[in-house]
Amino acid sequence: MTLSIRARLLLWIAGAMTILFMVFAVVVYKALSRSLLDGFDEVLLASARTISRSVERDSTRVKFEMDEHEAPEFYRSLEPDCFQLWLENGENLAGSPLVKTRGLERFAGLPDAPVFRPVRLPDGREGRAVGLLFTPKADEEAKDVIPVQKVTLVVARGTASLDATIGLIRWLLAITTGSTLVLALLLGAIAVRRGLRPLDALAARIAAVRQDDLSARVPAAQMPAEMVPVVAKLNDLLRRLEEAFRRERAFTADAAHELRTPLAGLRCTLEVASSHPRTGDDYREAITECLDVVRHMQGVVETLLALSRFESGQTTLRPEAADVRELIETGWRPLAAKAALRGITFDTHGLTYLTCMVDREVSEMIVAALLSNAAEYTNDRGHIEIAGRNTGEAVELTIANTGCSLSEADAQHVFDRFWRGDPSRTGTGIHCGLGLALVERAARTLGGSVSARIADETFTVCLALPAAQPKRHLMPRS
Amino acid sequence: MRVLVVEDYPPIRKAVAKGLREAGFAVDATGDGEEGLWYATSNDYDVVVLDLMLPGVDGLTILNRLRAEGRAAHVLILTAKDAVSDRVKGLDLGADDYLVKPFALEELLARVRALARRAYCVKNPCIEIGDLRIETDAQRVWRGSEEVRLTAREYALLEYLAMRRGEVVSRTDIWEHVYEFNSEADSNVVDVYIGYLRKKIERPHKPRLIRTLRGRGYSLGASG
Repeated sequence: MTLSIRARLLLWIAGAMTILFMVFAVVVYKALSRSLLDGFDEVLLASARTISRSVERDSTRVKFEMDEHEAPEFYRSLEPDCFQLWLENGENLAGSPLVKTRGLERFAGLPDAPVFRPVRLPDGREGRAVGLLFTPKADEEAKDVIPVQKVTLVVARGTASLDATIGLIRWLLAITTGSTLVLALLLGAIAVRRGLRPLDALAARIAAVRQDDLSARVPAAQMPAEMVPVVAKLNDLLRRLEEAFRRERAFTADAAHELRTPLAGLRCTLEVASSHPRTGDDYREAITECLDVVRHMQGVVETLLALSRFESGQTTLRPEAADVRELIETGWRPLAAKAALRGITFDTHGLTYLTCMVDREVSEMIVAALLSNAAEYTNDRGHIEIAGRNTGEAVELTIANTGCSLSEADAQHVFDRFWRGDPSRTGTGIHCGLGLALVERAARTLGGSVSARIADETFTVCLALPAAQPKRHLMPRS
Repeated sequence: MRVLVVEDYPPIRKAVAKGLREAGFAVDATGDGEEGLWYATSNDYDVVVLDLMLPGVDGLTILNRLRAEGRAAHVLILTAKDAVSDRVKGLDLGADDYLVKPFALEELLARVRALARRAYCVKNPCIEIGDLRIETDAQRVWRGSEEVRLTAREYALLEYLAMRRGEVVSRTDIWEHVYEFNSEADSNVVDVYIGYLRKKIERPHKPRLIRTLRGRGYSLGASG
């Protein structure tokens, strides 16, 4: 089973939010700590500049003079800052009280370009220092004395309070980010749940559809726009399902009716015959009647079985090339005498060299059923006309008979199971509205199709069967 | 008793009509809905055996028209549709009974007899008039301890008179309820059959059972 939409959405929201919040927190942290460090360095550099202004040189030497009050931060007793001055030759010039015990590390960049770096103060504290290489200002006498000696100054300061501030910022950021993330995920979960509520509603509606009542539909009006196409498709599916079930039920009812009626006839006839002693003729009449009923029932049962075989695709086909003229002649032979008696004329054209690739048994059944149907419904002294042609892919056969009393609109129903154009034919025996339905299913099984049209009291069935050979072999392009 | 059978499947129609005739009913039978409707609305049937799926006019329409015209005929629906909804629909439209195909002929006859009795408010299948006893289920007639052998037509006539015991029954009534539509005889035949019936059921030194009321008809009853 794949992950549910809800879990997927939650995972995505959680992942995206975590990454976003982390990036945001890191950026804020970096910016804040950089700005704090810059402020710290500025103060450090200002101290260094103050000290550097206290270094002077005269014609003979460089000297340092500074009043304690000018820079009290170096002389306080608790966690004082410290500085140290070196001459060019590395000789120690001066230093704050803290460097008296242990000196600072000497470092500097180019002249007048301060260099900052973290250091450890002589008393062991973590700190930050600036190294400055500068030329001490000269008094009036020493102005022209050359060479000019450069002085290195390193000022260091403990970073405990800076680290504490940065640490606090880090914690604050972590807590705010974390709690906001949790809150956002909670809201996200609620949003996902609410957002997916229509799906739950849909699932409940589908679950409520019962097999015996498929009339339920999902109202699309109450659904969000994204789900409207799904709901529409679902409703369409339900509609088709309902239609199929309705047809199946109607079919079962029709089949039951079609079998119960002759069964009732059989039973009644036998019961009446056996209720009193009768003459031989009476019995003979009853037996003949029963035989007719049994033949009728056998026809119905066999047709139903064949229909069910075709519909479930259980028919094994052995396609072979079949001559269409031969098929027609075989089908017409048993009907010819009776048709001639009724003055029906029979005419064929276009059947020469017409071959289709079909299962012989099934195609013979189709043609026989169509011809029998035509012969049955043609008016006395009517006409049956059969025409064939090869369209390349298929062999098209039209069977037209006169004397059709159906309306043009009836043509679409003639292949429905148990549909009868003329209900009074029910009693005639073999016609129970299955023949053409069977033809249609059988033609489809063979890979062909069948259609019907009614015009000017003529009923025309068009049967298309797979052609034996493609057109190009029969009629090469010139 | 006169019965109309409207059933489009010939084997059932023929067998039911034959069975009913042999059971002493006067039977008209048709396989066409339109014709069935005409028969049902132009004659006074005691019972109509009606198939639902008919060509032309279907059974329920015939039933509807019968009831709309106020015809009292008892209707037995005969159909292959066995869904509860079909049965309920038929009974709601005014049918009196329902029989699903295939059925036993015995049952059909029994139901038709029951409906016929109901048409005359007779519940007991055994009618006794004085020492005359008519068993309508077995179609046997007894005078005292002696069984009387009657032909189907004579029995039908006696049964009809017995159903309307004490009433004056006109020749036309008898004609309409005992003879079929296609019957070739004329109404004089009623008098002839009354004569046959009298010969068989009346006994010397016993009270007369069938009285003739001149110009009005006949009456069956144990009168002095």
